[in-house]
Amino acid sequence: MRGENKRSVIVGIFVFLGIAILVAGVLTLGGQQKKFVKAIQLKAVFDDIGGLQTGNNIWFSGVKIGTVRKINFYGDSQVEIEMNVEEEVVEFIRKDSKATISSDGLIGNKIIVIYGGTTLAPPVEDGDRLESVMPLDTDQMMETLQVNNENLVEITGNLKNLTSKLAAGDGMVGAALTDSLMAESFRAIVRNLDQASINSNRMIAELNKFTSKLNQEGNLFNDLVTDTTMANELKQTMESFKQTAANSEEMTQKLSAITDKFNDPNNSLGMLLNDPEFAETLKSTLENTDSATYNLNRGMEALEYTWPFNKGFKRKAKAAEKADN
Amino acid sequence: MTEKAEDRKPLLSKKIDRFFTGLADAWNFVRRFFKEVFVPPYEFKEVIHQCYRIGVESLPLISLTGFIVGIVFTNQSRPSLSEFGATSWLPSLISIAVVRAMGPLVTALIAAGKVGSSIGAEIGSMKVTEQIDAMEVSATNPFNFLVVTRVIATTLMIPLLVMYTDFVALMGSFLSVSANEKVSLTTFFVQVFESISFLDIISSVLKSILFGFTIGIVGCYKGYNSSKGTEGVGRAANAAVVMAMFLIFIEELLVLQIVNAIRAF
Repeated sequence: MRGENKRSVIVGIFVFLGIAILVAGVLTLGGQQKKFVKAIQLKAVFDDIGGLQTGNNIWFSGVKIGTVRKINFYGDSQVEIEMNVEEEVVEFIRKDSKATISSDGLIGNKIIVIYGGTTLAPPVEDGDRLESVMPLDTDQMMETLQVNNENLVEITGNLKNLTSKLAAGDGMVGAALTDSLMAESFRAIVRNLDQASINSNRMIAELNKFTSKLNQEGNLFNDLVTDTTMANELKQTMESFKQTAANSEEMTQKLSAITDKFNDPNNSLGMLLNDPEFAETLKSTLENTDSATYNLNRGMEALEYTWPFNKGFKRKAKAAEKADN
Repeated sequence: MTEKAEDRKPLLSKKIDRFFTGLADAWNFVRRFFKEVFVPPYEFKEVIHQCYRIGVESLPLISLTGFIVGIVFTNQSRPSLSEFGATSWLPSLISIAVVRAMGPLVTALIAAGKVGSSIGAEIGSMKVTEQIDAMEVSATNPFNFLVVTRVIATTLMIPLLVMYTDFVALMGSFLSVSANEKVSLTTFFVQVFESISFLDIISSVLKSILFGFTIGIVGCYKGYNSSKGTEGVGRAANAAVVMAMFLIFIEELLVLQIVNAIRAF
């Protein structure tokens, strides 16, 4: 009896675990396929859905947000897709968003990708129709590739002509490749260029030395470039120069005015400088003055020995002797 | 005398007649099961006992088989997928293979070998030793006690065993994938469930119910109709396994066609 009871419990546990695995599987699958999530319906109309099937995924910004619910024919030959989109992401999808058909990986299932949309437009609502953008068609790609192929054929044809001309030595490049004289000239040019580059290297080395000397501290040029106080001083000096120049100009003007006056014979100095007659008169006056002065000196000498003036001269001589002693 | 001679005369040929007679007997057996299953007394204790023997006692063997199948199938599929650089699709491939086909099929085949043969031999030996006749005499319905309980037990237990097998096979596959492709358990199971649908799980469960019923009913039928003697017991056990396996493959094929038709619809 006890054994039977134990067996019943084990069977119960076995059944429970088996059902638990089934339920866990169903719930995981449902959760992954968003079967138990509140959803709204959106629509989009395409010319060609390229094998999209009911149950395929809807992606928004790379996140799965729903599945294709229904596929209906619409109008003449268009297809209307009804999509179940999770209600909680609806606020991020705007009415001006676009829908296109893409692929999950290179050879994966078809998916619908919702993209774009601006915050200017309100969020989508149940039953809204999104603008659809036709995906890149493989046929169109093949057509473009065919055009590329044709272009490639033309390019290779041209290349063939070009290389045959080069081989024949036609044109400048052809001659450069085939003419031995030209090759020798090229070699000479290259040699010269080589020499020039050696010289320029040497020059650069010299320049380096020179600039390093210039860069040494205490050097005038270095101070000019690096010393900030010097710049200010130079500035001040320049200001002073400017001021001096202004003063010089003013002085020059004044001097000019004075020299003008010197040149004018109407004033006394001008007459002195410019009037020859006056000069002659002045010369005779000075000569007269000179002779008068000579005579005055002689009179004064005579006065020294003349009474009562001689006493005064003697007192002066004695005072001078005293001062010397 | 002429009537007896006419009775003995085969309708088409002896073999063909025997085949159709056997088919009719099997049909009657199944019909009797469905008639008896709803008729009291209900042998709950015996059903639980059989569930224990069929379900719990088969679990270690089924788990080991499932685990090995998971690892082996993953390792066998890897070279082909790596040729395309698509080893990241291994979880999806294994998931489809295990849930849709391998899980139910492997479980059913193992159960047919272990459970079907044991049911056939057990009932066959009871038939041979006239225990069934004795039960009838003692006012116990042998069909209800022996057949109905076992068929119910196999019908209930095989789907559960399939769940275990699926889980264990996927874990075995995960070990291989994680060791080689360094995939986490979460990523593995996300990819596993990405590639299957509810239809796959529903069809897997329905299929395993059908397989369970087949194993039980074939085992019981072969045992119940075993010929006299110990040789008959052995033949019954063997026939139970062979017939159950054969029918399982036929059913697998039919169910696959039906599920594909539903999927396309």
